[in-house]
Amino acid sequence: MSWITVAWSINVAGCLTLAAFYCAVWCKQRESWVHLLFSCSAIAAAAISVFELWMMNAQTVEQYQALIRWIHVPVWVLTLSFVAFVRLYLHAGRAWLAWSIYGLRTLVLILNFTFPVSINFRAITDIRHFPWGGDIVSVPVGVPNPWGLLSQVSLLLLVIFSVDATITVWRRGDRRRALLVGGSMIFGAILAWHVPLVIWGAIDIPFFLGFTYTGIVAAMGYELSNDMAQVAHLARELQFGEERFRRVVEAAPSAMIMVDKEGRITLANLQAEKTFGYSREELLGQSVEMLVPKRLRSDHRNFRHDYFSDAQARPMGAGRELFGRRKDGSEVPVEIGLSPIHTSKGLLVLASIVDITERKQAELEAARQQHDLAHLARVTTLGELSSSLAHELTHPLTAILSNAQAAQRFLARDDVDLNEIREILNDIVTQDERAGEVIHRLRLLLRKEEPQKHCDDVDVNEVVRDVLKLMRNDLINQNVTVDTKLAQNLPAVTGDRVQLQQVLLNLVLNACEAMNNHNSSERQLLIASKSENGTVQISVTDRGGGIPEGKLEQVFERFFTMKKQGMGLGLSICSTIIDAHRGEIWATNNSDRGATFHFSLPIVGSEGGSESLSN
Amino acid sequence: MPPPSSLTVFVVDDDDAVRKAVSRLLRSAGIAVAVFASPGEFLAQYDPATPGCLVLDIAMPGFNGLQLQTALGEKGCILPIIFLTGHGDVSKSVQAMKGGAFDFFSKPVKDKDLLTAVRAAIQRDAVARREHAALSEIRACLDRLTPREREVLEHVVSGKLNKQIARDLGITEATVKMHRSRVMAKMKMQSVAKLARLTERCGIRGNSE
Repeated sequence: MSWITVAWSINVAGCLTLAAFYCAVWCKQRESWVHLLFSCSAIAAAAISVFELWMMNAQTVEQYQALIRWIHVPVWVLTLSFVAFVRLYLHAGRAWLAWSIYGLRTLVLILNFTFPVSINFRAITDIRHFPWGGDIVSVPVGVPNPWGLLSQVSLLLLVIFSVDATITVWRRGDRRRALLVGGSMIFGAILAWHVPLVIWGAIDIPFFLGFTYTGIVAAMGYELSNDMAQVAHLARELQFGEERFRRVVEAAPSAMIMVDKEGRITLANLQAEKTFGYSREELLGQSVEMLVPKRLRSDHRNFRHDYFSDAQARPMGAGRELFGRRKDGSEVPVEIGLSPIHTSKGLLVLASIVDITERKQAELEAARQQHDLAHLARVTTLGELSSSLAHELTHPLTAILSNAQAAQRFLARDDVDLNEIREILNDIVTQDERAGEVIHRLRLLLRKEEPQKHCDDVDVNEVVRDVLKLMRNDLINQNVTVDTKLAQNLPAVTGDRVQLQQVLLNLVLNACEAMNNHNSSERQLLIASKSENGTVQISVTDRGGGIPEGKLEQVFERFFTMKKQGMGLGLSICSTIIDAHRGEIWATNNSDRGATFHFSLPIVGSEGGSESLSN
Repeated sequence: MPPPSSLTVFVVDDDDAVRKAVSRLLRSAGIAVAVFASPGEFLAQYDPATPGCLVLDIAMPGFNGLQLQTALGEKGCILPIIFLTGHGDVSKSVQAMKGGAFDFFSKPVKDKDLLTAVRAAIQRDAVARREHAALSEIRACLDRLTPREREVLEHVVSGKLNKQIARDLGITEATVKMHRSRVMAKMKMQSVAKLARLTERCGIRGNSE
C-alpha cells in the first residue's frame, strides 16, 4: 500500500472519529447546534479526502468526471458548515457576507450538475499520471470551464469573511481563538487556491483539499474540546460547591430545611432534627406541613403556593407570630427566613428556622420587669403627691361633717325644715361618692395589673382631666396655674388608662418642678390635645428654664436627670410606656421660654392602632 | 347678701360643697352668712362697715387666703379671720398666725370648735368696733382744741400742777386755769385720769419737762 493511501485514509478516519464524537455530544445536547455543525464539517472533510484518494487512483476519464462532479457536494456542505460555525460559535462575521457565500456556493453546486462534465471542466480529455513523492498519482487533463471562476469567487469571499471574523474576535480580546480558528480558516481558504492551479495545469501536484480542511476542522475541534474541558471543570466545581453547601447547612446553628415546589422536604440539617425531634429519615420526602401546627396548616399551604409564585429572600410571616410543631406535638415559637434556590431540579426554598423560645421568655421577663418598674415609679410618684392626695379627701369629708352637724342642729330646733334636711342628706351622699371616687382613682394607680391585660379605648381628654383632679391640690400649693386646650370630639386611642395617666402625671410634675424657682405669677402650665395624622397628640408646656440644647433626646434616657434629687427614671419609663403603645414621645424648647413635652398615640382603627398592646 | 351693717359671717372657699356645708352649719346656729367662691369676689363686694368675721380657706388657686389676709391688713381692715386649712399646711398656718389670724382649724372642722371661734371672733369684732368708735370721738374732740389748749392738755395729762404749767409756758396761773377748764369742757371729761388714759390711746404723750 502506498503512503498516500495510508495518509489520506488516516485523515478520513480521524475526521470521522471526531464527527462521530461530536455527533454523540449533539445527540445529548440538542440545543448545542455548533456540535452538529462541527460533525457535518468533519464528515464533509472526510468525504473530500475519500474523493481525492479515489481521483488519484482513477483509471478512466469517465471515472474522473464522475468524481470531480460529485466532490462538490461535500465541498458545499463544508463551506456552509464553516460559515455557520463562525457565526454561531464565534459570534463573528458579517451576515451579508455569510449569505453571499451560501448563495454563491449553492449556485456553484447547481451549475456543477447542469454542465455536462462539471463546473471545473468543459471536458476531460485524458488522465495524466506522474510520479509524486515516490508514488504515481493521476491528475485530469482537459478544457477548464470558465464558470469555474464562480467557485473561485466564493473562495475569495470565504477568505474575506474569515479575515473579518478573525479581526472581530481579535478585537474582542479572544486572541487565541481568533488565531486558531480564524487563522486556520484564512490559511485553509488560501491553500484551497491550489485547486484551480491544478485544473489549469499550472502545477503538478495531486488535490489535497481534504488535508487543508482537516486542519480547519482540527482547529475547530480543539476549541470545542476546550469548552468541554471547561464544562467538566465547572461541573466538578459545582459538585464541590454543592458539597460545601451541604456542609455549611449541616453546621448551621439554626434549623435548615429545603423544600421543593410540592412542599416535600429535600434537605434537613442536624439542628432541624434537634429542633423538631424528628430524625432526618423521617423528614426527607415528607410534606413540610408536618412541622406546622395543625391549626395553621391550610394557611401555610396557601402561603407556600404564594411564595413559589413570587420567590424572594425574605423573612416569613412578617408581623405574625410563627410556631413549629415538634414530633411530640408540642409547639415551639420560631422565626423563619426564606430564600429561593434555583437548581437543575427546579426552584427549591431554603428555610432557616430559629427557635426563639428563650428569647420569648426573656422578652416576657423584660416586659414584666418593665411593668414592675413602672408600677414602682407610679407608687413613688403618688408618694410624692400623698399629702396633696390626702387633701383631696378632706374636701368631701369637711363637707360631710359640716352638713351632718348642721342637720343635727336643724333637727334640734322646734321648726324643723324637712326640705333643708333632705338637701343636706343629698349633699352628704354626693360628697361621700366624691370621696369614694378619689379613693378609687388612687387604688387604680396603685394596683399592680398583669402586663398587657388592661387595654381598652381611652379618651385622652378624660386622662388629662383625671390627672388634673389628682393633682389639683398640689398645683394649688405650688401656685401653678393650669390652662387646658383640649380638642373636642377627639378619637379614642387603645391603651392602658392607668399607664397613660402615669405618663401625664410625670410630665405635669416635671413641669411644675421646672417652674419651682420662678415667680408664682409665671408658673403657668398648658395642657393641649389634638388629633393629627392618624394620631392623638398631647402636649404639656411649661414656662420654666427649658432643656439645654443637645439634651432634648437625652432626657428620655434612663438615669439621665437634671434635678438635684432625681433618679432619672420618670421620663425613661414614660418613653417605655409610650413605645409599648406604639406612640412617640419627644421634647422641644419653646421659642420664648420653657419646654414642651409631647406624646402621640395611634388612633383606634387607624393602621397599627387596633393591634393588641405588646411590650 | 344681708343688708349692710347687720352682723354677717363671710365664708370664702373655692370648693362649692365645703362652702355650702360650712355656711349651712353657721346658719343652723342662727348666724347670718355671706359666701364667696374666691378672695377676689369677696374683696369686690365687701363693705368694711359690716361687722362679723371671715371664715377663710387658706389654699385656693390663684389669689389665696394668705394673700387676702395681707390685702385686708393693708386696707386697715380689722375683720377677724378664722382660717380653715388642709392637712399638713403647717408653714401656711404659721404665716397666717403671724399675720394676725384670729384662729385656725384644719379640715374637717367640728361644729363646736368652729361656732365657738366664730362667736368669739364676732365678740372681738364688736369690742374692737366700739373702741374704734370711742377713739374716733376723742380724736374729733382733740381736733377742736386750739394749739395753746393742746399744749396745756399735754402738760395736764402728764400730771403737772397749774403753777408748774404756768411757769413752763410763761403764762399766768389764772390763764392756765381758764385753758384747763375749756379743755375739759371740749373733751367732755370730768376726771383728768380718764382724759389721760384716752388721750394716750390716741397717741398723745404727756409733756413732762
